Amino acid sequence: MRDYFENIAQKLFKHIQKDEFLILNFDAEISNFVRLNKAKIRQPGNVKQISMSLSLSNRDKRNLKSYVRLNGSFDKDLSTLIKTLNYLRRELPDLPKDPYLLFSKSVQSTEVSDDKKYINDEENLDYILPRIASLDLVGIYSSGYIYTGLANSLGQFNWHSDYSFSFDYSIYNENNNAIKLNYSSKKWNNEEFETNLDQGIKKLKILSQSPRTIPKGEYTVYLEPSALNEIIDMMSWGGFSYKANKIGTSPLHLLSKGEKSLHASVSIDENIKGGISANFSSDGFIKPDVINMIKDGEFTESLTSPRSSLEYSVAHNASSISEYPYSIDMTAGAIDDDTILSTINNGLYISNLWYLNFSDRNNARMTGLTRFGCFVVENGQLTAPINTMRFDDSVYSMLGENLIGLTSNRELLIDSGTYEERSTSSARLPGAIVDNFKMTL
Amino acid sequence: MKNEFLKQISTYFPSVDYCSFRFVNKYTNIVSVTRNVLEPIEILEDEGVMATIIHNGGYGYGASSDLTPDGILKAIEEAKKWAEYSSGKLVHVPHPPSMRIDDGKYFTHEKDSWAKESNKDKVDYLMQINKSLKSKPTISNWGASFRYNKIETLFTDTNGSDIRQNISYILPQLVACAEYKKQIQTRTFGGHAHARQIGYNFLRDSDLITKAEQIANDAIELSMAPNCPDSKMDALIAPDQMILQIHESIGHPLELDRILGDERNYAGSSFVNLDMFGEYKYGSDKLNISFNPNQESELATYNYDDDGTAATKKYLIKDGILERPIGGFYSSQRVNQDYVACSRATSWNRPPIDRMGNINLEPGESSFSEMIASVEDGIFLETNNSWSIDDYRNKFQFGCEKGTIIKNGELKSVTKNPNYRGITKEFWHNLSMVGDETSFSILGTANCGKGEPNQTIFVGHATPPCLFREIDIFGGE
Repeated sequence: MRDYFENIAQKLFKHIQKDEFLILNFDAEISNFVRLNKAKIRQPGNVKQISMSLSLSNRDKRNLKSYVRLNGSFDKDLSTLIKTLNYLRRELPDLPKDPYLLFSKSVQSTEVSDDKKYINDEENLDYILPRIASLDLVGIYSSGYIYTGLANSLGQFNWHSDYSFSFDYSIYNENNNAIKLNYSSKKWNNEEFETNLDQGIKKLKILSQSPRTIPKGEYTVYLEPSALNEIIDMMSWGGFSYKANKIGTSPLHLLSKGEKSLHASVSIDENIKGGISANFSSDGFIKPDVINMIKDGEFTESLTSPRSSLEYSVAHNASSISEYPYSIDMTAGAIDDDTILSTINNGLYISNLWYLNFSDRNNARMTGLTRFGCFVVENGQLTAPINTMRFDDSVYSMLGENLIGLTSNRELLIDSGTYEERSTSSARLPGAIVDNFKMTL
Repeated sequence: MKNEFLKQISTYFPSVDYCSFRFVNKYTNIVSVTRNVLEPIEILEDEGVMATIIHNGGYGYGASSDLTPDGILKAIEEAKKWAEYSSGKLVHVPHPPSMRIDDGKYFTHEKDSWAKESNKDKVDYLMQINKSLKSKPTISNWGASFRYNKIETLFTDTNGSDIRQNISYILPQLVACAEYKKQIQTRTFGGHAHARQIGYNFLRDSDLITKAEQIANDAIELSMAPNCPDSKMDALIAPDQMILQIHESIGHPLELDRILGDERNYAGSSFVNLDMFGEYKYGSDKLNISFNPNQESELATYNYDDDGTAATKKYLIKDGILERPIGGFYSSQRVNQDYVACSRATSWNRPPIDRMGNINLEPGESSFSEMIASVEDGIFLETNNSWSIDDYRNKFQFGCEKGTIIKNGELKSVTKNPNYRGITKEFWHNLSMVGDETSFSILGTANCGKGEPNQTIFVGHATPPCLFREIDIFGGE
C-alpha cells in the first residue's frame, strides 16, 4: 500500500503547474468486522477502502480540497486523480483568498510501519466462541490494517501503518446487568483473553445480587478509568482548542482564562508519542511528542491549528483543524488499587458512564448516566449493583474541589470507534475518587 | 453507465442461495464561512459496493471501493468466506426474499439543483448571511454553512431485482454567539433540525439573512437573560426540540434490533419488550406516531430500504397505543412481527441495520395560540442544544437554546440555559395538546449514530409543537 501511494503521488505531482502546491492525504483500511449477540455471530464481513484527498493551492492563497475514493488499481486511480486535480484548478480562480491558509513548507519525511499481521481471525473466533457459549455476550471483534499517508509537491512523504485487533464486548446476566470489557492488541494471546474474560465473569457475579435503586443526592464515588474517560472526552469538545477558548464556546474557557482551576493533582497531556495515531497533521506539520495542556490543575497550553495560528497570530502545535486531542495522557495519582474501596468506604463504584452532554457549557457542567458495572459500596465492600442513575455535575467540582485523588495505576483505553473507519484515538488514564458527586434522577 | 454496471455486476452472481449487490455513490459538498472568512470548501466523493451472501445457513458481506472486476470478485469471495464460516454459528439465519423488484425507482425532486449554483454564488450568499449575523458588536462568534449530500444507490440480487434511488438533501447551519460578563450564549438555525430533501431554492426561500439577524438578536438577549428557574411547570415544546424528544424517547426504543439485544454493547437496549406491542399505552390518547417514508421532501423519504423492501406508511403508535416496532424485513423474521422498510446502511461499507426513517408525530387540532393561552405557569422551549438518555431510553435530560416563560396564557420574558428532565414512560402520558396542520414542521437530522461497526445516518422527523403538563424544568449555574 505504501509503494502504491508513493508511486501514484509521484505521477500526480508531474501534473502540477508552476506556482501550484498540492498536498495528498491518503487513508486506507482493510478490516474484518464480526458482530456478536447472545454469544453467536450476528453480522460478519470484510471492508476494503482506499481514499485520497487532494488539497490544491496557488500563490494567491486560494485553496480547494477534494476527497475521492480509489479502487487500488493504479491506472484507473491516476486517471480519477488527474480529473479531480483539473477540477480543483478550474474552480480556484473563482474562490476568495484564504487569509488563514498555512501548510508546512519545510520537508520533514517520517515513517512508522507496524503492520505485521500476527493473527488469524477465524482461529481466534474458533477459540472465542466455545468459551463464551454459556454467556450472554454481545459486542464486536474487529481487526485489520490501517494506513495513513501524506505527500506534498515539495517532496515531503509521511507514512503510518498499523495492524491491530479489538474485541469490544459486554457480558450480561439474567437481570440485564452487564460488565463491559475490551481486549485490544496487535498480537492475540489466548491467556490474556482468558484473563480479561475471567475478570468480567467475576464482576458479573457481584451483579447477580438484586439491584438497588439509590435516592438522588451526593455520593462519594470511584470512577474507573473508562468512566473518567467519558468526562475527559466531554472536556475535549472544544475544551483544549485554542479557537474555542478564544471565542468562548469551550467548556473550559474559564479555566483557560485563569478564572477557575482544577485540583492540583490534575495534569493532562496530548501524548502523540505514547498513542497510536499518526504524528503528522493533514497540512504536513509534524506534531510534537507531548503537549502539556493542563499542569497541576492549571490550563497551560491549547491545541492550536495552523489556521488558528494565523487568525490569532500565535504559534501553532500542528493540531488538526478541529483542535481535538487524539492521545490523552493523564498523570497518575497516589491511591493504590487495593485501597479504593476503603477510601470510598460508603458510596458508589462506577465502571462506566454513558451519553454525556452539557447542562451548562459555560461552567463545564455536564450530565450523563451510569452504565455497566456500577455498585453500592458499604463499609468498604461492593454490596449490590445499582439501577441506572443520572448525574449532573461540573468539571470544576468533580476534578476540582471535590476530587479526593487519582489512582496510581493507569489504563490505556484504545477507542473502539468505527465511524467511517477504525479509530486511532486513545487515552491513558487513572481512576478518580470524587466526593459529593451529584446524582439527580 | 449505471445500466452497464448493473448488467456487468449481474454476471458475477456466485452459485449460492442468495446474493445481493448494493452499489453506493455518495457526494458531499460543504461550504462554510466563519467570521466572514471562507473555510476550505469540502468536496467528498465516496463510491463502493457491498456483496451480501446468504448460503447454507450462513451470512456474510464483503465491501470494497475497488470496482474493477477483480475487486468485485474479491468482495464476493470475502462474503462467501464469512457466510461459510458463520453457517451454524448465527444468532438468526436470515431467510431471503423470493420476490423480484422490477424497475424500482426514487429520485429527490430538486427544483433548483445544487450543482447549478456556482461555488462563488454560494460563498457570496454565505458572506451576506455572516454580515447579518455580526449585526452588533456583542456578537463574539458567528458563521454559516451549507451542506449538500447526494446518495445514489443501485441494488440488484439473485431474484433479478433492479432498484435505483437518488436521494439528495440540503442542510443549512447558522450560528451566533453573544458574550456578556464572560458568559456566552449561542443561538443556531438549521444544524440538528433543518435538513430536507429539497433543492437549492430551499436556501433562497428560507430568507436566511433575516433568520441570521433574528438569531443574533436572540443570542444577545439570552446573554443578558436570567437563568431558567428550577420548577415543575408546563412545557410547550417547539418542533426543533420535539424532533429530539421523538428521536430519543420513541424512535430509538422502538428499534427492533435494540429490543433483540444487538445494540447492548454500544447504542443500548430498550425498555420496550415484545409483549408490549398491541397493548402498551405509550402516551396519552393524543400521541400518534407514524413511520412515513412517503412524506414529500422529508429527509428519509424513499421507495425502498437497503435490503430492497418496499416502503409504505405505517403507524407505530396509534391513539397512545404501541402498535409495531421499527424492524426491517430480516429483523421481523426473528420475532414474527410486522415489518417496516427501515433496514438502512450509512454507505456501501456498512451492512443494513434497523434504523429510523421518517418517524413523525401526526398533527392534532390545537393552534399555537390556543396552546399558549391554556398555560398558567410554563415555558416555551426552542432548539435543542444538549441531549442525554440512558441505555434503556428511560431517564432523559435535554437542554434548549432558548426558554420563554409563559404566565397566565401569555409569552413573557426570555431565560437562558433551559433544561428539562424526565422518564419516557411518564413523559408521553403528560402530552395534553398537539399542534395542528398549520404548525406541522418537516425537519430532520443528518447524524444519527448507531451500530457495530458504527454508522451515522440521516433521519426525518415531522412534528407540530406539543404541550406537556408538569415537567421538571431547571437552569444553569
